[in-house]
Amino acid sequence: MDPFSSEGELLTIHNAFHSGLYSTVIDTDTSALSPANVIAARVYVFRARIALGQASDVIAELEGENDVPDLAAVTAFAEYTEGEKVAAVTAIEGLVESASDNATVQVLGATVLQREGRSDEALAVLAKHQGSLEAVALAVQIRLSQNRLDLAIKEVSTAKRWAQDSLLVNLAESWVGLRVGGEKYQQAYYVYEELAQAPGSSTARTLVGQAVAELHLGRIEEAEVALQQALQKTPADPDALANMLVLETISGKEDAGGMEALRKADPAHPLLVDLDEKSSLFDRAAAKYTVKVGA
Amino acid sequence: MQSMLTKFESKSSRAKGIAFHPKRPWILVSLHTSTIQLWDYRMGTLIDRFEEHDGPVRGVDFHRTQPLFVSGGDDYKIKVWSYQTRRCLFTLNGHLDYVRTVFFHHELPWILSSSDDQTIRIWNWQNRSLICTMTGHNHYTMCAQFHPKEDLVVSASLDQSVRVWDISGLRKKHSAPTSMTFEDQMARANNNQADMFGNTDAVVKFVLEGHDRGVNWVSFHPTLPLIISAGDDRNVKLWRMSETKAWEVDTCRGHFQNSSACLFHPHQDLILSVGEDKTIRVWDLNKRTSVQSFKRENDRFWVIAAHPEINLFAAGHDNGVMVFKLERERPAYAVYQNQIFFINKEKHVRSYDFNTNTESPSILSLKKLGSPWVPPRTLSYNPAERAILVTSPTDGGTYELINLPKDASGAVEPTDTRRGTGNAAVFVARNRFAVFNVSTQTIDIKDLSNSTTKSIKTPTTVNDVYFGGTGCLLLCSPTVVILYDIQQKKTIAELAVAGVKYVVWSNDGLHAALLSKHNVTIVTKALEQVSSLHETIRIKSATWDDAGVLLYSTLNHIKYTLLNGDNGIIRTLDETVYLTKVKGRNVYCLDRQAKPKVLNIDPTEYRFKMALVKRNYDEMLQIIKNSNLVGQSIISYLQKKGYPEIALQFVQDPQTRFELAIECGNLEVAVEMAKELDRPKLWGRLGAEALSQGNHQVVEMTYQKLRSFDKLSFLYLVTGDKDKLNRMAKIAQHRSDYTAMFQNAIYLGDVETRIQMFKEIDLYPLAYVTAKAHGLTEECESILEASGLTEDQIKLPTIGAPITPARTIVPTYQKNWPLRVASQSFYEKALLGQVESMTLEDQPADSGPSNLGFEDEVDESKKFNGNLMDVDTEEDGGGWDMGDEDLGLEEHGDEFVNVESETAGVGMSEAELWARNSPIAADHVAAGSFETAMQLLNRQVGAVNFKPLKPRFLEIYQASKTYLPASAGLSPLVNYVRRTVDETDPRKILPVIPRDLESIRTVELQKGFSAMKANNLEEGVEIFRNVLHTLILTTVQSKSEVEEAKKIIQTATEYIIAMSIELERRGLANDDSQVKRNLELASYFTKPTLELPHRQIALMSAMKLAYQKKNHVLAAHFASRILANNSQGKGADNARKIKAASERSGSDAVEIEYDQFAEFDICAASFTPIYSGQPFVKDPFTGAKYHPKFKGELCRVSQVTEIGAPASGLRLMAQ
Repeated sequence: MDPFSSEGELLTIHNAFHSGLYSTVIDTDTSALSPANVIAARVYVFRARIALGQASDVIAELEGENDVPDLAAVTAFAEYTEGEKVAAVTAIEGLVESASDNATVQVLGATVLQREGRSDEALAVLAKHQGSLEAVALAVQIRLSQNRLDLAIKEVSTAKRWAQDSLLVNLAESWVGLRVGGEKYQQAYYVYEELAQAPGSSTARTLVGQAVAELHLGRIEEAEVALQQALQKTPADPDALANMLVLETISGKEDAGGMEALRKADPAHPLLVDLDEKSSLFDRAAAKYTVKVGA
Repeated sequence: MQSMLTKFESKSSRAKGIAFHPKRPWILVSLHTSTIQLWDYRMGTLIDRFEEHDGPVRGVDFHRTQPLFVSGGDDYKIKVWSYQTRRCLFTLNGHLDYVRTVFFHHELPWILSSSDDQTIRIWNWQNRSLICTMTGHNHYTMCAQFHPKEDLVVSASLDQSVRVWDISGLRKKHSAPTSMTFEDQMARANNNQADMFGNTDAVVKFVLEGHDRGVNWVSFHPTLPLIISAGDDRNVKLWRMSETKAWEVDTCRGHFQNSSACLFHPHQDLILSVGEDKTIRVWDLNKRTSVQSFKRENDRFWVIAAHPEINLFAAGHDNGVMVFKLERERPAYAVYQNQIFFINKEKHVRSYDFNTNTESPSILSLKKLGSPWVPPRTLSYNPAERAILVTSPTDGGTYELINLPKDASGAVEPTDTRRGTGNAAVFVARNRFAVFNVSTQTIDIKDLSNSTTKSIKTPTTVNDVYFGGTGCLLLCSPTVVILYDIQQKKTIAELAVAGVKYVVWSNDGLHAALLSKHNVTIVTKALEQVSSLHETIRIKSATWDDAGVLLYSTLNHIKYTLLNGDNGIIRTLDETVYLTKVKGRNVYCLDRQAKPKVLNIDPTEYRFKMALVKRNYDEMLQIIKNSNLVGQSIISYLQKKGYPEIALQFVQDPQTRFELAIECGNLEVAVEMAKELDRPKLWGRLGAEALSQGNHQVVEMTYQKLRSFDKLSFLYLVTGDKDKLNRMAKIAQHRSDYTAMFQNAIYLGDVETRIQMFKEIDLYPLAYVTAKAHGLTEECESILEASGLTEDQIKLPTIGAPITPARTIVPTYQKNWPLRVASQSFYEKALLGQVESMTLEDQPADSGPSNLGFEDEVDESKKFNGNLMDVDTEEDGGGWDMGDEDLGLEEHGDEFVNVESETAGVGMSEAELWARNSPIAADHVAAGSFETAMQLLNRQVGAVNFKPLKPRFLEIYQASKTYLPASAGLSPLVNYVRRTVDETDPRKILPVIPRDLESIRTVELQKGFSAMKANNLEEGVEIFRNVLHTLILTTVQSKSEVEEAKKIIQTATEYIIAMSIELERRGLANDDSQVKRNLELASYFTKPTLELPHRQIALMSAMKLAYQKKNHVLAAHFASRILANNSQGKGADNARKIKAASERSGSDAVEIEYDQFAEFDICAASFTPIYSGQPFVKDPFTGAKYHPKFKGELCRVSQVTEIGAPASGLRLMAQ
């Protein structure tokens, strides 16, 4: 039986991970699982811990277990997040060669490659997946970041044929929807709202998703409420802070320390990087014009 | 019979006669045991018993309007009763055998009776006489009824016939004599066929034969010419009649024992009959087929009656009566945001919009859903798919999933439906719904194609399921409610609430109301109980106010409950309704005919209570100020809740005010009220309260009022008020109150007085001892002498040191010594106007250093601000050509549309599309394409200095993208925020631009005006310049908005110029060598087109300055202009004075360059006139004019654009 199906024992941990409920993932009791699923469950636990910033612990813990490709991929990913990029990328490159049919290797490998900016290679790795929704979702995201909406739509509609009710497919569809716009905004909103309002999957992550959809729908006030809820759950969530900044700007409010908070929470957040870039771009562009100052 | 709903059952002996009260929830039941019972079937209580008949009572009837009823029994008697006085008023004797039925006429004071003596009789109950006896039946007449409108009677007899009688003769005879003409009489005498006794009052019109056995019951159709009869041949026969004849239409066969009674359904095409075979049967009037039948185990039915108004029936059987409905009257409906979808009586789906208060035409017809006589039970709406789920109880429960058509185009049959069996069906997610099956106790989760994705076995026996928040269901069992997570298939929470029938979610989805028959339980979305309340009357429906107040309806009231359980009645209801929405003072509901209705309510009480609970003092204050919230209930509520100080605000009655004031320690009010009432008891209580607060001045007053001298003295003693204590001593003397004198003397340490007093009352030994104790030997001697006593005769106690009176250390009496904080509550302060934030008026603006008298203008300027945009623009801006751009930006070509579907490579980002799609600079900024944006601005308005625009650039750019966390480990997905929310065509999408025209007009422009008003000119220039910098990068939707934007740019420009002139003038105002320039600038200040009040300010300042500097002609000129604008008020008076004074003098001291008669503009750089005809250059953006020498320089107004630059005009609109 597919361990991720609605009856499968990994469903809970899978959904928790993708809703951003990392502590739930870590607290999940993996001992009762059937042996076939233990590795997969552990991979989720490790990835949740990496997401919570415990990458070095994970590396230490996995020492000596790197003969399992899944765990080796986790280690490489952890190293990459820790900043040891060169070693990690080499490790990943090796894994991608040797264990290209391993789902964990595919997903984590593609993640690292994408972060390295090697999108096409990442997509090639993902293309080898066999029924891994995570791989599909990742591919969709990479396609979207390449602005290839058409291909992203294709990925989603293919996946929908064999896994309609999966959380990840719904999410990937919403990502695409937020690019398509129009009615799809509303549908994306429904997906996120459903997650964000259900007690089992309400996290800063899902709330931010809901808020983003509402923002695109032009429902500024509702979006603000959702973001506030997100910030209540995780006060320094960089994405919540970033979107709050965007929201405040759209509604014409003065920045009330949001920029500062974001700089503190995640100085490398794309919004900040982007703004700094644009700020200097502005100065460069403005300098091309000469002003004759009057007497 | 699946949908017959029993509402009430009584247990008694055999019930033979039944009558519904037309208005009240009462039913009369006449029993075989001679008793007549009066029941309240709503409450299920026996109201009264009437026992005067001897033997069985077979017929009863209520009068329609009078508090009367009539009964007839086996004692041959007809009795008329008053249910008010609970007595039999009189008895009509005449029948010679059992009386079978009695009925009142619907308008005439008549009673119709049928009897085993084979007659039918009509009685006048007003004069208590028999007016007609109808003979003809030759066996017992079992039933006789009046026609509901015409002058007809129908009767049934064991002689197997049904007869229709014409009683128009009787009516004529008994109506007022004037209405009968001679001709009438003649006609009557000649034409009416007299019966064999020569009786023309009532004649047989038709004899209907068809029953093979005796006929037990007969009745007319309420509107159609139809008759229904029931007989011992077990048949129910339908007859039709015309003017001239009557015939049998059909027979309803089915009863397998004697059929005892039958009637037509008052509103639907149905026939109901009962029989000794223990069944109630429902027949289709048009097809004469059986629709439903209901069987009792042991009881034969004898009689059936219908309520005249409401959809209720009653049937009498061997062991009592049952009151029932044939169908649920609750319409199926679902509320979504501002819409309700419901199914009306024609089984059409309709919607109603709460915003516009309009009902849609029918959207769908559900005629084919379920069986024709069974209305749908529930409706669930899915806004994402615009689909509905409808359930019907037919065939053990069915559901249908139907997509609503896009627009309501009439009652079309649905084309695309999916159905299945189930007792309840609700949407649980956008693309999922749950179907619950009672018999198997399973819940199937289905997708929109109706295939089951998951099947859940209920954890316990469940009656019904409801939406339980996203991904959850609420399962209602007879004793508990369970919150069930569908995804995880587990019970999240459980709450013991019995018999929950409906669940109503609050608008924010945080709370739900669980409605049982008699209970409302409010729970959180996690199913934690918040509050619960009990109602004796059945609860029908509920809806949430936006503020979180639950309004619910019972059979006859609308009530409310707050989350904390506080509740109350809002209004009474004439008929049962199902609440759907509350908005302000309107309650929207559906009535039992499934028609939307709007009821008015007064929400003040619950809003007030809500505000109290939430401590929303502002709102409370508003309510206190603006509404007449009075009444004992609110006062006692406030008292109970510990807010006597608020209650105090509502009360006028001095006694209550006093009580409340004491309770909240408000001495001021208490004193006032005590003075008004002036009762000793109140003074006493006031004194005690004042004492506990340490307010001894009030205490003193109360003691004075109460004349409690001893307490007063003690008060003076403890507060150290020696003067008053002395006075008390004097008063005591005056009153010859020796005890008081003694007391005061002790307090004062006044030994002499004490001795004197003792002497006066002949207590010489005491006087002696006192004197001795204080060492007053001389006094001792004199006492002994005066009294003739010797020292031996006086028993002396051991004498210690004499007491000395306490010294006053703190002069407490001078000031109150507060013991308890009795601060004024917020409300009191607010009501006294002490809280600043509550005052609605603006603080007057600070007048500036030059004191231009600005504050006089404040109100006026406020008045004008709102109308600013209505002022017509006179000037036609030159640089506003809305023609095509020659930037070639529209030439986006078609290659984009056919993006080749390669599997690799990078596409074009949405931001790039924006830049392609728009010739507007702001859109390019949002797209991050700053270079092209600058190019555009440069070409459109000659922008060269972009530095001031940087914040605006970054602001727009920052608003353009959102960050969606997607796959773990990767950076968030960037999405692009559009202003074209509904657009999906990549060639038409455009970005959102923050701070639109609306916000500029309502916020920033007004800020600028306030700065002008408040004389903050530097700030004002900044604000207006900011307006210009915002507008240079903005987008609008329509031509009219383009005009508006133009107008705002012009306004901001004028203000910046005006303010700059005045600022320049102030810079040299104190320089005496610059008088001329000073005066000129003051004059120019009046030139720009400002709002009227601001123009007046400028004129006023110029006038004063000119007058000061003795430029009288000029001053007079300004004065005239002021007066021309406004000839009233202080400013005008002032102007008039100056004008008069100036005209007397009539000369200018300084000649300045200001020609009041010439047309000129002001150069925005040099602040000198540009006379009409002189050459000038314009700024392409602001339109400000300059002397030609400034060409090519930076515009002083915008500080962005180049004066006189070639420009095509600012574009703000995409198409």
